[in-house]
Amino acid sequence: MYSVNVVARISNVLVMDRRKFLKQSSLASSLFFVPSFVKAFEQVASNTLGYKRLVIIQLSGGNDGLNTVIPFHNDLYYRARPSLSVSKNETIKLTDEVGLHPSLMPLKRLYENGNLSIINNVGYPNPVRSHFRSMDIWQTATDSDKFSQIGWLGRYLDNYAKHPYAAIEIDDSLSLALKGNNMNGIATQNPSVLYNMSKDPYFNNIIKHQNEAHLNEHNLGYLYKSMIEAHSSAKYIYETSKTVSSTQDYPDTKFGKQLKTTAQFINSGIDTKVFYASLGGFDTHVNQLNTQKRLLKIYAESVEVFVDDLKKNQAFDDTLILTFSEFGRRVKQNANVGTDHGTSNNVFVIGNKLKNPGLFNKMPNLSDLDDNGDLRFEIDFRTIYATVLDKWLEVNDAKVLNKSFSKLNFI
Amino acid sequence: MRRSEIQHLYWRAGFGISPVTIESLRHLKRKVVVNKLFDDSASVTLLTVDTSEIQSILNLGEKLSSDNRRKIQELSRKKSIELNQAWINRLVTSKEMLREKMTLFWANVFVCEDNNTIYIQRYNNMLRKYALGNFGEFVKAVSKEAAMTKYLNTKQNRKQKPNENFARELMELFTLGEGHYTEQDIKESARAFTGYSHNLKGDFVFRKFQHDNGNKTFFGKTGIFKGDDIIDIILEQRQCAQFICEKIYSYFVHDRINQNHVKSMVKVFYRDYDIEKLMRFVMLSDWFYNQDHMGSKIKSPIEFLVGLQKVVPVTFKNKRQLMFIQKQLGQVLLDPPNVAGWKGGKNWIDSNTIVIRLKLPSLILNDAFISKSEDNQFSNEASEMIRSAFKKRVSKQFKTDVNWDAFEKQFKNVSIEDLSEFILCCDLQPETSEYLKKLDKISKKEYCIQLMSLPEYQMC
Repeated sequence: MYSVNVVARISNVLVMDRRKFLKQSSLASSLFFVPSFVKAFEQVASNTLGYKRLVIIQLSGGNDGLNTVIPFHNDLYYRARPSLSVSKNETIKLTDEVGLHPSLMPLKRLYENGNLSIINNVGYPNPVRSHFRSMDIWQTATDSDKFSQIGWLGRYLDNYAKHPYAAIEIDDSLSLALKGNNMNGIATQNPSVLYNMSKDPYFNNIIKHQNEAHLNEHNLGYLYKSMIEAHSSAKYIYETSKTVSSTQDYPDTKFGKQLKTTAQFINSGIDTKVFYASLGGFDTHVNQLNTQKRLLKIYAESVEVFVDDLKKNQAFDDTLILTFSEFGRRVKQNANVGTDHGTSNNVFVIGNKLKNPGLFNKMPNLSDLDDNGDLRFEIDFRTIYATVLDKWLEVNDAKVLNKSFSKLNFI
Repeated sequence: MRRSEIQHLYWRAGFGISPVTIESLRHLKRKVVVNKLFDDSASVTLLTVDTSEIQSILNLGEKLSSDNRRKIQELSRKKSIELNQAWINRLVTSKEMLREKMTLFWANVFVCEDNNTIYIQRYNNMLRKYALGNFGEFVKAVSKEAAMTKYLNTKQNRKQKPNENFARELMELFTLGEGHYTEQDIKESARAFTGYSHNLKGDFVFRKFQHDNGNKTFFGKTGIFKGDDIIDIILEQRQCAQFICEKIYSYFVHDRINQNHVKSMVKVFYRDYDIEKLMRFVMLSDWFYNQDHMGSKIKSPIEFLVGLQKVVPVTFKNKRQLMFIQKQLGQVLLDPPNVAGWKGGKNWIDSNTIVIRLKLPSLILNDAFISKSEDNQFSNEASEMIRSAFKKRVSKQFKTDVNWDAFEKQFKNVSIEDLSEFILCCDLQPETSEYLKKLDKISKKEYCIQLMSLPEYQMC
C-alpha cells in the first residue's frame, strides 16, 4: 500500500511529465485536437505574424488635441481661447490651415518623411467625460455604457498569444488594456531586476509542483497563475534582451526610458507583438500652456529618437506606433487658463508603411459642437483598433473586439 | 469565538493578530470581541510630524512669494516622506486599529493629494476624525478641506466661470457612482460650490463675492443652494447609501458583492448615515464570517507590509527603502495614482508585483534566503553553513533591524506544525502543501519565511 503522500507525489510527477511534453512540443496540442488543415493555417499565421510589432503610447489625463494640431486659420478657435490659443506665428505649419504645437518639431520631420498620419475627430458614441471611465473605454474597447474587466489587448492575448510576453507594458504596473481573461500581458521596466527576483529555486520548486488544472479563477488561483507566468516570462525576456543595448541618446525622462527599453526589446528580436508605454500629466484644468508645452516636448523628442533607433536596426519597417489620449478637451477655455474635459481627439499613427500619410481627414468642425460645447466625433476609435488588428497584426479583429468594425485606409 | 473567526475579524478590522492576543479572546462572545474593537477606537489620536519650518513660512503673511512657495515645496517633499513613515508605523502599532483601518479605507474613497505637508496632514487627520462618524458631516468636511479645494479645483470655481471638477468627482467617486446623475446636475451643483477657498493656514474660507447666489435645480429640486445643501440632497438619494455600502462590502467583506448582504447594510446606513453603526452591523452579521469570505481577498501592499511587520517587527534603517518598497508594490501612502484611487483586488497583482511580493519577506527578514533542504538532507550545522555562505554571496539589499525575539515570544505556544494556520489566512494549495511537507522544518523562523514566500501569504 502506498501512503497518500507518495501517491500524490507520483501523480505530481505524471502531471509534470505530461505538461513538460506539451511544452516541449509546441505543436502537440494542435496535433492532438485540431484537424490538420487548421493546424497548417495556424503555422502560416504564426509565420506571417513575423516581426510586425505595435507600440501604443498613451497620453494620460486628456491631451488637448486642439492645441496639438492647430487650426490656425480658424477664428472660432481664437475666439474660444483668447488667452490659451497658439498664435499663427508660433505654430509649425503643415498645410495652409493646419499647424502643430511648437513643441512638436520632431513630428514635423516625421510628417515630411511620410511617417506620420494624423487622424482627427476620433472618439466614440455617448462620450463619458470622466478620466477613469473614458480610459477604461479606450482600453477595453467596449461601448461607453458597458463595463469590462478585460482589455482589448488582453483579448488579443487570450485569442492569439502563446505567451504572456506577447504583450509587454514598460511600466511597474499593468494597465487594464493588457489584462485578458486567461492571460495577462507582462509589466516590467527593468527585465534584469525582475529576473533576479524571480529565480530562487524555492519558487521553481513550488511552480514545478503545481497542476494548472487545479488552479481556479478565484484570487488564489489567479495569484498562482500570475506567479507561473511571471517566472517563465522574466527568464525569457531577460535572456533575450540582455545582449542588446541602445547607443541612442534618449531624453532623460521616465517616458524616454520607456521607449529606450522598448527599442532594446524590439532590436533584440524578442517574440513580443505589442508594447505599451504611457506619458501622464495632461489633465490641464489650470495653467495649461506651460504644462502642455513641456509634456509634448518630452513626447516628441523621445519618439524621434525611438524612430531613429529602430531605423538603425532595420526595425522601423515592421513597427507601427499608435498614440492616443482618453479624450480631448473642451473647445472653450476655462477661467484658469486651462481646459475642462472634452470628447473627441486626434490620434497619431507613425510608421514607414503608411498608406495615407499626413492629415488623414478633416479638422474638427468648430461651428457644430454638442450641447456641452464639445467636439463631435467622426471616427470611432475601435475602427482604428480593428484596422491595426486586421491589417497589421493580421488577426481576426471581430474576435478581439467582440464586434465587427469597418476598416480605415491608413495602413 | 473560533480562532479562525477572530483571525478573520482582525484581518478585516486591522492587519492581523498575534497568537497571544487570539488566546486572550478565544473564550469571549462575538459581541464582546467586536465591542472591544470599537472601544479601542473610541479615541482619536492625530498623526503629526514636525512641520514648524513650513508653518513659519505660512505665518509670514497673506501672499506667498514664488521663492517661499518653492521652499514650502522642498520642505514638503522631505516632510511628506516622514508623514508616510509615521502613518505606516501607526498602522503597525496603534491601539486604535479599526479607526486606522477605516482611515486607510476612506483615504481611498475621498482621494486627495497635495504638495504642502501641512494641508495633507490636516486632511489625513480629518479622515481619521470622521472615520467612524456621520457620513454626511464627513462629506461636508471633505468639501471644505484646503487640500481638496486645491486638488479638485474648487478654489478656481467662480461665479462667472464655474469649474466642474469637484462637483463631478463628488458624485461620480465620492457619493453616487457614475450614471446616477446627469451632466446638468454637475453644472448646477458646481455653481453651488463656487466661492470655496482657504487661507494660508489651511482653514476654510467662503468667498461670498465669488459665490453664485442664483437658483439651482438639482435632482429635481430648485433653490438658492449652497454646497452643503447639495450634499444633503445627495444623501437623500438611497443610491448614496448603496454606493458606500458596496464600497465597504468589497473592502471589508469580499470583492464579489452579494446584493442581499448589501441590501441589509443599506437598510441600516440609509437611516442616519452613521458609519459606526454600519460597521458594527457588518461585523456582527453571521454572513461576515462565511467560510467563503475568510482569506478570500488579496492583500493590498500596505496590508501586506504592515501585516508582515506585525508578525516580525522590522525597523528600516534607510527610510527611503520603505518608500521604494511601496512604490514597487504599487501603493505609496499619500500618493494615490489619481482621484479614483487604487483599484484594489486582482489589480494589485501583475508580473512585476507578484515577483516582488514573493521575494520581499526573505529580502527584508532573512537576507534573501529561503530554506529548501529536503528530507533531512543536511544536518542543522550544515544548513547553517549553507545559509551563511548564501548570505556572503548576496549583498544585503535592505538595511533592516529584524526583531525575531518578538516573533519567538508571540509564537512560543504555537507548534511548528500549526504555524501555517497563524501565518496564513487561507488553506494551502494541495500541491504546495505536499512540497512543504517534504522540506525540513529547521526552525519556526525558517518555516515562517517559507510560508511568507507563498502566494497564499498574499491572501487575507
